[in-house]
Amino acid sequence: MKVLIVDDASTVRMYHRNVLEAAGYVVDEAVNGLEALEKALENTFDLYIVDINMPKMDGYEFLMQLRSEDIDQAPAIMVSTEAAELDHTKAFTAGANLYMVKPIKPLQMMTYVRLLVGEESV
Amino acid sequence: MALKKSNTTAPEETQSSQRDCSEISKDLISEDPSKRRWAARDIVSCAHASVMLLDQLEAEKDMSVKQVILSSLTQIGDTEAVNGLVRCLRTEDVSLRNEAIEAMKHLPREVASIMASLLNDPDPDVRIFAVNILESLCHPDVEQWLIDVIRDDEHVNVCATAVDLLGEVGSEKSEPALLALKERFTDEPYIQFAADLAIKRIIGS
Amino acid sequence: MSDQLISDQEFDKFAEFFYRKTGIKFDKSKRYFVDKRVAERVKATDSESFRHYFTTLRFQASGEELQKLTNLLTVNETYFMREDYQFRCLIDSMLPDVITRHDPNKPIRIWCIPSSSGEEPYSIAMYLLEEWDGIDKWDVELIASDIDTQILETAKRGIYSERSIRNVPSTWKRRYFRDVTGGQQVIEDIRDAVEFTRVNLSEPADVRAMRNIDIIFCRNLLIYFDDLSRKVAAEYMFEALSPGGYICLGHTESMGRISPLYRVKKFPAAIVYQRPLEAK
Repeated sequence: MKVLIVDDASTVRMYHRNVLEAAGYVVDEAVNGLEALEKALENTFDLYIVDINMPKMDGYEFLMQLRSEDIDQAPAIMVSTEAAELDHTKAFTAGANLYMVKPIKPLQMMTYVRLLVGEESV
Repeated sequence: MALKKSNTTAPEETQSSQRDCSEISKDLISEDPSKRRWAARDIVSCAHASVMLLDQLEAEKDMSVKQVILSSLTQIGDTEAVNGLVRCLRTEDVSLRNEAIEAMKHLPREVASIMASLLNDPDPDVRIFAVNILESLCHPDVEQWLIDVIRDDEHVNVCATAVDLLGEVGSEKSEPALLALKERFTDEPYIQFAADLAIKRIIGS
Repeated sequence: MSDQLISDQEFDKFAEFFYRKTGIKFDKSKRYFVDKRVAERVKATDSESFRHYFTTLRFQASGEELQKLTNLLTVNETYFMREDYQFRCLIDSMLPDVITRHDPNKPIRIWCIPSSSGEEPYSIAMYLLEEWDGIDKWDVELIASDIDTQILETAKRGIYSERSIRNVPSTWKRRYFRDVTGGQQVIEDIRDAVEFTRVNLSEPADVRAMRNIDIIFCRNLLIYFDDLSRKVAAEYMFEALSPGGYICLGHTESMGRISPLYRVKKFPAAIVYQRPLEAK
């Protein structure tokens, strides 16, 4: 199982990577939506974990293009620092399957991830 | 048919930068996006350019024109431009917000004078954006601002954003504040992870 | 001072910073390569330590030191057929797409910037003649620009070492090169087919003159610009391109770090960037 983490903060990418790798997932990273689109065009991922606020291309725009250009329909979790209702709706409209609010606890992340892509056999 | 030497590299139109400012400001609201883009570039040397660019930025629907306007505002970088960019931080338009952050990263001196107020903004999102701006701000106070954030800010995500950056710019001076932060958010694994990483990097230098 | 100038932690910190700025990733396996070059710059800048140097690198307003280091860390040798998967992509994918909406009475325009000493535009000329059957139906204009007028003169002369043409297929070599004193010269027909012009990609007046370009090769140039100049240059190239036109960047470069104006497009041979057909 391969997961793409899309976040401009390097510490966040490293944290997510640690949690996912400990559970046996293979992880790749992108620093913004544009770089993520390039990676999605070149590789196949089973899951995307996407931050909203990023330079050059934000998370909504990334998911919208990922879905509308039919690059990938694999599940995606949108990650935000805000809990506003508005963000939820926008995230789902853009093509997210789940929505998490930072900071994320490992247990919560793994529950969501397994819900979407199932258990990874280590 | 074959390879052919070009003879059309000369300008096709007389659309030169020699136009006067009133003409340029008319082009800035033209129907044609290409005219608006060139006007957004050429207006840089005109008086009150920032005000006109910010007005158009608000009305502008075409992404390519928005991008050029933001580049020009960054190049001008006067008080008016910076204040306009700060207003963009509060918009619901996510991409404009992020572009404004990128633009402000290029304006250290101008942004420095309002940084303290941005870092104390009642809206935690604005405070997070302010920390994002600090990332590329070439300014001697960056570390102290970040220390103040992780010591005093009550919002966990504002602190989280600041810690990420402290790992890169912090010195021994940041260590006590990082340790104190861990104490403040004992039940947040992310904060523990990020603060430990920052400390490790600071000690490792 | 210990033998190791840069600690592991510092290397990670540096690698992340450099990645964010340039998109180039150095993992631990590249340490020897990176450390050696960084040490060179630490010495050249009279920095007391790596840490001191890193502060200069990070906070210098002009970004000059970052550019110097980038120069050192990116090996930039130009030669014929370099990164030729993009020329493959030109023939197999970009040109077939461009001609679907191109006026048949007007030439297709390809722009190489930087021209450098001419290896790239001449490689493209040869590719077009040898590999593209559309060359019988379409006129193609090849424009090669550089900021450096001296290198443009070198390009116009078109004389190269064996090393520089080592990747050219032997049949092409026989067809397009002649022995001259000092090396192998590109034949006149090909030299005449390329228009060499001086263009500074940061100068509005220079770029304003470039219009109706269908495909731009801008490889390993923007990496030497600072963030804002890079973004502005991408905006100028947007102006130069016809809607639907393409840009190819160097293999370590990504438009994702530069500007959101373009669509990323995957073709079998390469990933390229396209100016959208209509406004977004």
